[in-house]
Amino acid sequence: MNLLVTLLLLIGAVAPPATTTAPGEATPIVSSGTGTDSAASAPVTPPLPPTKVRAYDTPNDGGKSINLEWQPSPDKDIEGYLVLRAVLGAGELKFDSLDFLPGSENSFVDERADDKQRYVYRVAAVRSAAQGNADSNPVRSAPQWFNADLFNIIVAMAIIFFFILYYIYHARKGKQLFIRRIAGLDAVEEAVGRATEMGRPILFVPGIGDIGQVATIASLNILGEIAKKTAQYGTALIVPNRDPIVFPIAREMVKEAHTKVGRPDTFKPDNIFFVTTEQFAYAAAVDGIMVRDKPATNFLLGIFFAESLILAETGTMVGAIQIAGTDQITQLPFFITACDYTLIGEELYAASAYLAREPLLLGSLVGQDYGKMIIVIVAVLGSALYLLSALKGLNWLTVVSRILKT
Amino acid sequence: MTANAPEKKTFWQWLATIDRRILYLVMCLVVVIPLIAMLRSTVEVTSPVQDVFNAIESLAVHQKPLLVSVDFDPTSRAEMYPMLTAILRHAFARRVKVVELGIWQTGFGLAQRALNETATEYGMKYGEDYVFLGFKVGVDAVILGMGENIKKTFPVDARKIPLDSSPMMSSIRKLSDFGLIVSISAGTPGYQDWLLYAQARYHVRTAAGTTAVSAADAYPYLGSGQLTGLLAGMKGAAEYEALDAQHGFKQASTLASTAMPALSYAHIAIIILVIIGNIGFFASRRRK
Amino acid sequence: MQRQIPLTIVLVMGIVMMVQFFIPHPISRSLFELVNKWARLIGVFALILGAGSLIFYHLTKIQRKAKGWGFSIVALTSLAFMTVVGWLAGPRSMGNPAALYQVIYANVQVPLGASMFAILAFYIVSASYRAFRARNREATILLVAAFLVMLGSVPLGKDIWDHFPKISDMLLKIPNMAAKRGITFGIGLAGTGVALRIILGIERGWLGGGK
Repeated sequence: MNLLVTLLLLIGAVAPPATTTAPGEATPIVSSGTGTDSAASAPVTPPLPPTKVRAYDTPNDGGKSINLEWQPSPDKDIEGYLVLRAVLGAGELKFDSLDFLPGSENSFVDERADDKQRYVYRVAAVRSAAQGNADSNPVRSAPQWFNADLFNIIVAMAIIFFFILYYIYHARKGKQLFIRRIAGLDAVEEAVGRATEMGRPILFVPGIGDIGQVATIASLNILGEIAKKTAQYGTALIVPNRDPIVFPIAREMVKEAHTKVGRPDTFKPDNIFFVTTEQFAYAAAVDGIMVRDKPATNFLLGIFFAESLILAETGTMVGAIQIAGTDQITQLPFFITACDYTLIGEELYAASAYLAREPLLLGSLVGQDYGKMIIVIVAVLGSALYLLSALKGLNWLTVVSRILKT
Repeated sequence: MTANAPEKKTFWQWLATIDRRILYLVMCLVVVIPLIAMLRSTVEVTSPVQDVFNAIESLAVHQKPLLVSVDFDPTSRAEMYPMLTAILRHAFARRVKVVELGIWQTGFGLAQRALNETATEYGMKYGEDYVFLGFKVGVDAVILGMGENIKKTFPVDARKIPLDSSPMMSSIRKLSDFGLIVSISAGTPGYQDWLLYAQARYHVRTAAGTTAVSAADAYPYLGSGQLTGLLAGMKGAAEYEALDAQHGFKQASTLASTAMPALSYAHIAIIILVIIGNIGFFASRRRK
Repeated sequence: MQRQIPLTIVLVMGIVMMVQFFIPHPISRSLFELVNKWARLIGVFALILGAGSLIFYHLTKIQRKAKGWGFSIVALTSLAFMTVVGWLAGPRSMGNPAALYQVIYANVQVPLGASMFAILAFYIVSASYRAFRARNREATILLVAAFLVMLGSVPLGKDIWDHFPKISDMLLKIPNMAAKRGITFGIGLAGTGVALRIILGIERGWLGGGK
């Protein structure tokens, strides 16, 4: 027994110590080859490690993310970089591998960090199973309370809000504000009058969008104005709805319009109804109403998709005058082709202010136009400066262009 | 006293106001006859479609799997289904592993049918060569969840088989393990959601197939490099089928290629009718 | 008072969600998801209201024997049938193409929807024939551009002249994209204006009209 222990102690004294890899050092691998002692393989030269390995919390995010950057290894023939991570705590660092990246990469984003832990990252340049390691500074991820990347949006919003509030203030003071004519909206009175004379109903289609979309809200605002006119003239107004939330709002608006003009008894709740949520089933139902009830006037205002031409063309077939408006750019050509008047994009949003002619609404319309003008001027200026900066001697303009971009 | 008889239309006036039923009949004949006669036309492949093809070829070379997102419903089947089958045939012919899912509930049946059809053609084995994840509600939650951990987002596939027991899923843990995402989308949610979350956040290459009407909206993404490639409408599908044929991949059906002559003649018919209408319009105006 | 409460809710929630957009913190994200969940829940209850309206509308038509009341019987029968079939089949029918619910959907709903979509092919012809007249300079430019894009979009166009696809591509990528971007830009800013009017209570149409 004593001999065995002595032998073990002797072996332990002469055996080489286990190598623990230290940062900045290479890990030599001694390959155990076959054959005689003299034919043992030479150790593989490890590559030089990457330098300036820096880890920092990913900015402008909700946490759990750390950015890692490094300068490439001076050795050009590396196979790639192995990225490892260790939790900083009491005791020795234990690195787990995260990913293996090609040699052309010099950054990595770890999106699986825990905000409560501190980490140390290791980037190892790899060549033939040999590694050149470099460790980063300790780092912890944290969520931010403000996304600085969106600062330009705040600036743009501030400009628009300023102009809107400024012109609302002026409108309250009684200042006359100019709004250009919108042919489609000027035709509303004529369209309602036509239906009244012909004794035929008016069909109002508020689109297939839901109440969360601005175009649907704009459409319902117009419905309110049109309902007042139809209540005054005693013309039937049919409003089929595709969205179950839009339906009760549309019904309330028409009811309120009748009450406002002093004719609550003429309100027919059955004329405003829910049809279906299926797109083409809704289109078929509305087409059926057009063919059976033969409305004299169709209003197609709101969000439409592939069914736009189906509705518009059926309306043309029954001889109705049609006023359409949508913010869906792909559907505008169909409306322009098949309808008498088309409200393009923001004209739909301006419609309620245009029809109501209330000073506050008109003020906001003028304000948003001025805000838009400022933003367009900045965009054009920035693009022009960027273009000019390509000329010799004018490279400094890139800086100005970047400031405008930010 | 006789009542005024309706004024007889001149030939030119008639040309300017042809009854729409005649127009519909012409359209019907122009579409149906080429289909019945099984006419064929050559389709030249454009670079956005070639880019998608090349991207899937590179998956075969680098042995990376493909994720296909079926984002359309049966109403857009005519344009989108041929795209889907053409891409699946290419992937299976090159032995690329395919994972398919849908973010449109109503597209579930089509997604399943396309996979079954094409996998059977190429003798692919479920679980080893392809997996169908099915449909899950909540686009951004699904994509973001898959970005972190696919098995956590889809513990079982559409056949209720645990993903852990599918051999091919052992090496596919998150979105960045895919070499390419192809979103065949007819609207929203669609390829834009894949670009926003998968491409921008997890840097996975993304290609798209869209309807012809929506293709123009996708051009900016193509130009900026966010989209690797684009198939636009039935023509895009026909181009991909042509590429499959050029490379000798077997195809049990070529729906888009079959429809191309009908599409071409329909376009020409519309142009001719519009010209006739204009001739009648100008001639009858001159005679007044 | 009846109007003050919803206006106050809109003001508070509008400002909260606007501020939320700029805060990446997980608390902000949780608030966003909570609001989204509530919106979806409210939508489901609204569906019940909508179904009630549909049933009442058709029942009234049948009762009064109004024009087309036969179709109302078909509508109500289909609604009742699919509700019962779907309820009995349950959510597990979703993955099973042989389930009756799926069979009816695939063989009735889908072809009907596809047929409605296919009507577009005919309507495009009549709309184009009627509208594409070279009445003035702008209409002529539109007409020529439409011809070029149509010829560039099909293989036959390339057979006629090699350059049609390139011209079509150029028209779609340059003037078409420029116009689309301009309209999108205007829509985005106008949407901001509408949203601000609603949040500040200036625009009150969504309340059901009135001040």
